[in-house]
Amino acid sequence: MAVHQLVPSLLPGDAMGQAAIHFQLLLRRLGHFGELYAEELAPGFSSLVKPARELRPAKDDLVLYHHGISSPLSGALLHLRCRRGIIYHNITPARFYEGTPLWESLMSGRAQLTAMAPFMDLSIGVSRFNSEELRSTGHRNVHTVPLFVEPRRFGADRADPRMLAKLSDPAPALLCVGRVVPHKRVEDVLSLHAELLRLRPTARLWIVGSYAPGNAYVRKVFRLAKRLANVEFFGRMSHAQLVAAYRAASILISMSEHEGFGLPLLEAMASELPVLAYAAAAVPETLGGGGIGFTEKRYALLAELVDELHRNPKLREAVHRTQTRRLSQLSADAAARRLEQALATPDRPRKTLRRRAGKPRVAIVVQRFGEVIGGAEAHARSIARRLSRDFQITVLTTCAKDHLTWTNEFAPGKTRIDGIPVIRFPTERARTMRSFNRLSRQLFQRSNDRLHEEHWVAEQGPAAPALLEYLSTEAKNYEGFIFFTYLYSTTVWGCPLVADRAIVVPTAHDEAPLRFDLYTDVFEHARVLFCNTPEEAQLVRRRFAKHAPIRVVGVGVDRATADPARFRRKYGIDRPYLMYVGRMEAGKGIPELVKAHRRLLRAEKEAPLLVLAGSSAAKIEGPGVRYLGVISDGDKADGLAGALAAVIPSRYESLSLLALEAFAQRTPILANAESDVLCGQVTRSGAGASYEDFESYQGGIRKIAAERGPMARRALSYARQHTWPRVISAYRQEMRKIVEDQR
Amino acid sequence: MRLLGDAIKQSDLLQRLEERLRARGLGPDPEARASSVGIEPPVDPLSFNLAALEEHADPTRSLPLQTHRGGVGRAVLLAKWAFRTTCQVFINEALARQRLFNGHVRDSYAQLSAEVLRLRAEVERLQAASTKKRAVRRG
Repeated sequence: MAVHQLVPSLLPGDAMGQAAIHFQLLLRRLGHFGELYAEELAPGFSSLVKPARELRPAKDDLVLYHHGISSPLSGALLHLRCRRGIIYHNITPARFYEGTPLWESLMSGRAQLTAMAPFMDLSIGVSRFNSEELRSTGHRNVHTVPLFVEPRRFGADRADPRMLAKLSDPAPALLCVGRVVPHKRVEDVLSLHAELLRLRPTARLWIVGSYAPGNAYVRKVFRLAKRLANVEFFGRMSHAQLVAAYRAASILISMSEHEGFGLPLLEAMASELPVLAYAAAAVPETLGGGGIGFTEKRYALLAELVDELHRNPKLREAVHRTQTRRLSQLSADAAARRLEQALATPDRPRKTLRRRAGKPRVAIVVQRFGEVIGGAEAHARSIARRLSRDFQITVLTTCAKDHLTWTNEFAPGKTRIDGIPVIRFPTERARTMRSFNRLSRQLFQRSNDRLHEEHWVAEQGPAAPALLEYLSTEAKNYEGFIFFTYLYSTTVWGCPLVADRAIVVPTAHDEAPLRFDLYTDVFEHARVLFCNTPEEAQLVRRRFAKHAPIRVVGVGVDRATADPARFRRKYGIDRPYLMYVGRMEAGKGIPELVKAHRRLLRAEKEAPLLVLAGSSAAKIEGPGVRYLGVISDGDKADGLAGALAAVIPSRYESLSLLALEAFAQRTPILANAESDVLCGQVTRSGAGASYEDFESYQGGIRKIAAERGPMARRALSYARQHTWPRVISAYRQEMRKIVEDQR
Repeated sequence: MRLLGDAIKQSDLLQRLEERLRARGLGPDPEARASSVGIEPPVDPLSFNLAALEEHADPTRSLPLQTHRGGVGRAVLLAKWAFRTTCQVFINEALARQRLFNGHVRDSYAQLSAEVLRLRAEVERLQAASTKKRAVRRG
């Protein structure tokens, strides 16, 4: 059963869209695959959300529709031939909007709420307040699943530093977060500010939230604000700016007369900001003893309270403690438990594992498989081949060959590679590198909300929903899962579906996406992480405080028989050479390597030749540089055996198979010093040098040339520590624990 | 007025704040209202939709002029008002058939919703009768 979500709109900054993204997270953690569908979507978000008209649920599927203001989707929902559910976010009482076009939309939304009741299999309120309203309109099977925030996204380190510097000041600052609309009663916030100014003339008021400048109410509020000192309207802010505002303010104030939940209250709590809120509608429930609520708007008294809260550290600390407690009660885990109860129906028993006789069934999930170039993919293939002796292995992968475009090149369906069953799933969309790189540049520079990070993963791909659906529906047929590469959607969206049975081989290195909080879904929820090197393990420990258990496992390396003379003859190479074998991409540091080597050639007549091999979109040639194209495994072994050193220019490595293969051929490595992993390999093996600039590049080559003999011995000794039996034993041991736990 | 929250002793804190107000010569605010935590009454969809169809059946009637934009938005409003004032006769002509059509939709909906209400009442009556029969049989 898939659980799809239907939302009227999915736009950045839109609370309902954000809630849908959060429900998606909960559903994944509960093992349910599902997609997002929206009536209105933000430009560029089509990779993450599909148009509502494309929703074609199966009879057994559940569609959860997010309801607020009137939407044609509420009618469309009633005609879907599947199980139907509503997630109710509440509707602002129409009395606040008498005489405006909104009045009718609000009333209509309420009429729709009642009309939907007899057709719903499940009704969810995001607060008990909303659930009560659902019951009063005739909904049955009503459950409460509160909204939540991810507290780490509101940490001090997530604040936009420029905004934080701009706002920081010892004077008290009131912060009001929400749209400038009548029921939020921004005029009441201004009244409070006016009273506060009498006590503290330097007090400031910041209003964060969108507004329509031509709207009569907004113009009234602006007129009132003009009469007061130190009032600033920021409009809508980015996530990082919003965190800065929360972190710089003294108190969050809410004068809203109606909230179905009041997410900014939780955001403030996560930002360690005391909350002072008018106790209307669901607000007392959301506060739940945290912060301070008030039942009457006595502005002079409230100004005294703000002053007290600002100046009294003991009171602030006490409030902070209650807010921290409340935040933990409204966690994602708590919401997941509530949602699990809501989705459990008597006629639908929980998914239980199907036990079979014979070898345990294990699925290896990897973005590409077979005749593809890529370290992680080759790693997955080696593990699949070797584990198949003890387990019934099936590889779940895509039809893509090229990891840049994810174009479907292999046929979908079942096939066999190395005698192992492989199921290929088609990708739904090709990646456009230009727009993807543009999005990456935007998001890598700042902290983001989950919506933007999920969007980035969707753009990154591979978009293979059928693979995820298979994982969800067929999980019961597998006793364990091994996911390769943390980065791709197949892992970040696939792993949570089966996290308690999943070994993840993250192949992580210090790169911008690793800072996305969304990857906690992998690093903190998997059963165990298999890192390739101690440096990778250290990186994961630093980045993810609550990481899953880590084992440093790596790969084994076979020492292929090699004939360096054959390589020299075949390619006409008659002088010492450095060799690189791998993808010729900017991300691998090839342009910088070629540049440094050309400079070396100008400086030294006797400089070695630089030999490059691997797939490349552009031809790289020139004096002192030879590009061989894609070469066979035999040529690779021959070439590495005869090289002065294998050169590894990549900044981003979680292991470097090339380094191990070179060591196995008694060849030292010359590695980019910016990679901790490569530096670790150089230090631990004592068979190579690292470089960070031209001088160290030149010096590294000289050092290797001078110590080539001893380094060759150390290289071989290091390679002998990395054997397949040791590696496979770790996989076998961990997978058997997983299998045992289920039996 | 009540203050809520586990971090505070409500009476102590309120007393302290009231004392400060008194020291400044300020008393209670007579206009302050108590907050509402009650839910909104349900809206019956059949009667609401019928009322909405009646309200909007005549497409020649203008909606209130409004804009959410500043600056140019005001000028556009003025232009809309001028168009309405000078061209109403042509608007009526262009939308005459739509007006008739909307009238039929409204009347059809009124008849159908009345029928739904009658059928619901009938189902309720039959269900009640069936429950009563079962109870008599049992015992």
